[in-house]
Amino acid sequence: MDFTFSEEEEALRDEVQAFIKDNFTEEVLADLTTGKRGRGFGPKAAPIFRKIAERGWNAIVWPKAYGGQGGSRITQFLVEEEFYRAAQVVIGGGGTGTPAVLASGTEAQKQHYVPAAIRREIIFCQGYSEPHCGTDLAGVRCRATRTGEGDDIHYVVNGQKIYTTNAQVATHIFLLVRTDPESRRHAGLSILLVPMDTPGITVRPLLTVQNEPGGPAGTTYGEERTNEVFFDNVKVPASCLLGEEGDGWAVSQRGLNLDRVGAWRYLISVKRDEDIVNWLKSGDERAAPLKDDAAVRDKVAELWIEGQVCRLMTMRSMTIEQRGQAFNYEGAAEKVWAPEHGVRTTEAIGQMLGPHAQLLNGSPDNVQDGLYAHNLLSAFQSTVNHGSVQVMRDQIARKGLGLPKPRK
Amino acid sequence: MDVLPDEQETLIQETAREFFAAESTPALVRAAEKDPSRYSAALWKKIADLGWLGISLPEDCGGQGLPLTYAGLLLEEAGRAIAPVPLHGTLVAALVLARHGSAAQRALLRQVVQGELILSFAVQGLQGAWSPAAEGLTGRAEGEYVVLNGSRTFVDGFRESGHCLVLYQAEGDGVAAALVDTTSAGMRGTDYVTTAKDSQARVDFDNVRVPKSALVGEPARGAAIARDLCDYAAALMTSQLAGATRRDMEFAVEYAGQREAFGQPIGAFQAIQHLCADMLIAVDGAQLLVHEALWRLDQGLPASIEVSQAKAFAGDKCIFVARSAQQIHGGIGFMMEFDLQLWYRRIVAWSLRCGSVREHRQQVAAALLEQPGKVRLGMPLVPA
Repeated sequence: MDFTFSEEEEALRDEVQAFIKDNFTEEVLADLTTGKRGRGFGPKAAPIFRKIAERGWNAIVWPKAYGGQGGSRITQFLVEEEFYRAAQVVIGGGGTGTPAVLASGTEAQKQHYVPAAIRREIIFCQGYSEPHCGTDLAGVRCRATRTGEGDDIHYVVNGQKIYTTNAQVATHIFLLVRTDPESRRHAGLSILLVPMDTPGITVRPLLTVQNEPGGPAGTTYGEERTNEVFFDNVKVPASCLLGEEGDGWAVSQRGLNLDRVGAWRYLISVKRDEDIVNWLKSGDERAAPLKDDAAVRDKVAELWIEGQVCRLMTMRSMTIEQRGQAFNYEGAAEKVWAPEHGVRTTEAIGQMLGPHAQLLNGSPDNVQDGLYAHNLLSAFQSTVNHGSVQVMRDQIARKGLGLPKPRK
Repeated sequence: MDVLPDEQETLIQETAREFFAAESTPALVRAAEKDPSRYSAALWKKIADLGWLGISLPEDCGGQGLPLTYAGLLLEEAGRAIAPVPLHGTLVAALVLARHGSAAQRALLRQVVQGELILSFAVQGLQGAWSPAAEGLTGRAEGEYVVLNGSRTFVDGFRESGHCLVLYQAEGDGVAAALVDTTSAGMRGTDYVTTAKDSQARVDFDNVRVPKSALVGEPARGAAIARDLCDYAAALMTSQLAGATRRDMEFAVEYAGQREAFGQPIGAFQAIQHLCADMLIAVDGAQLLVHEALWRLDQGLPASIEVSQAKAFAGDKCIFVARSAQQIHGGIGFMMEFDLQLWYRRIVAWSLRCGSVREHRQQVAAALLEQPGKVRLGMPLVPA
């Protein structure tokens, strides 16, 4: 066992913190943290991401052959943590999609997508959920028909995706489709990597509960919009198929664990534990009586300890990854514990602050620009998306504990 | 950063698990509850023969010199089998003596490692508060002696221990520690009847004369010694508690897979599955926290807050797990003839020993709120 980062890793942390101090000016931060166009995007942010890519910080863990550093998962975590703390931006060279390309792509696909994703010239959004299915993804209906001959073999895509965050800024969609119309459930699914500028794709905004007024910097799930994406006879070259046709379920599962665990997943659940403690110590005249209240102190300590468990579960996942071992239930456990902790702590902070916790950004008398009110609007989102906590508990019980499936 | 046990740690843990599964059977546990000593001398001897009593003691004291995390893993496994032996009290006192004791006191540790000398420790006063402040017992210097008056409570293994590591308030010198011969005149133990049916006792001191050679460490070191004693005790109690709780959860999972109701195993129902998932998460959390605390203690890093985090979490969650295991078992779970209650009764007791949830949370809250500067998860806190 070892519960510290190495000296080299701590030195890198210092370097990253200095970089953030130099580059994340007020102007850039405003650009990065607006939820209107998608967090982490915007004209002021683009040059910063180029600098991050030049330093290799968003691709520490990826192979050198594709532009990465061939470094450790733990080091990547440490760097991602600093950037997420500073501006709630997720670095990591493309996020969704790229890990799956590395796991299942052809050599040509890896060469095409990975270096460009590191430079942020390729940005994936995730085309999983449909109006009638989210958690139960095996119900996907979006259809891709293989057609054509010789050099013109292609797929024609028809259907709809929903809750496609960042579709408005993505260059590509990582699209789960049904390629075999006779298939049911997990069979007959495939993954296509579809350029968003392909004719026949329409992106329509869906405004979230965080819209008007938008949340301040620090809000978790502060996106003011997500999207619906419609596919109307969209013609996609066969070279966009990732992995084997019909193997889409397995392809989509590879790399999914790292979507459910990691620096940003951890921080969206625990950042407010730090925020409330620091606010209680801030000298705000509303904080002073709370700081000495026995019930508040007991609750703050309870939540802090839960936050430590979030951190340690994340470190456990990083350890498993770093050792090259496979997850059993650990990723799912983290995806239950951390989001539910985020909800508990958000609601508990609400009761500590009392009526002030309802005041949004821009309201008179709000606390920290309405941060805690905006968090109350979205804390529960992390228990819903990327695999609901109920489905995660099913996985823990069946895979981790070996409990039986119900008889029909 | 690598927060899971490595190969050697896993090997020791598995070896201990097999040993305790074979040697510490429920029948042995039941027999020990009826024995006045409350422990199995035969099992104690076998543990000593394996060298495990010195697992994390220095080699110059006859120990194996392995990191404290190994002692934690050993306690987890002893707890898993609710082994009726005074392992916790002996290891805690021995670790403090190894670090702070005189040459003569360190020499005693060879007898401890051989299994010939059982140790206990005494921290709490009549209020039952878990604190290194040593309230409730005073020591007055008289020539070459210190005279102790007052009481200590919840002293586990007192009856069988040869020496007891006692915290007291020295006149004018603050907190101090002494290794007291338990046969000293004026010292009287009264057995408690606890849910665990274990060997905790109240110990009353009536003008107990302790030679100055029995004092542990320099007077100026008293607070640090008391802190170490409390940290080792609470951390290793959490290890023992987490080990017992994991086994308790496993009983429930096994039972849920077999017991049928409404035409199928109850473990196929999501209501049971989701409860079991939460039980697993709770035990894992307690274990991760205590591993970090023990690792930091071993590295000589400040660890009191990490210890409090672990004990507060375990005290809260382990009882949830044990109560849920009872729920899953239904009526059979609380029948004396069924073994599950052996675990439940100990988990209740151990979650209350070495500091309550409330007390440990107070330590964490004070470190969070009374120290200047901003806090950040992952950056250690300093006790207030």
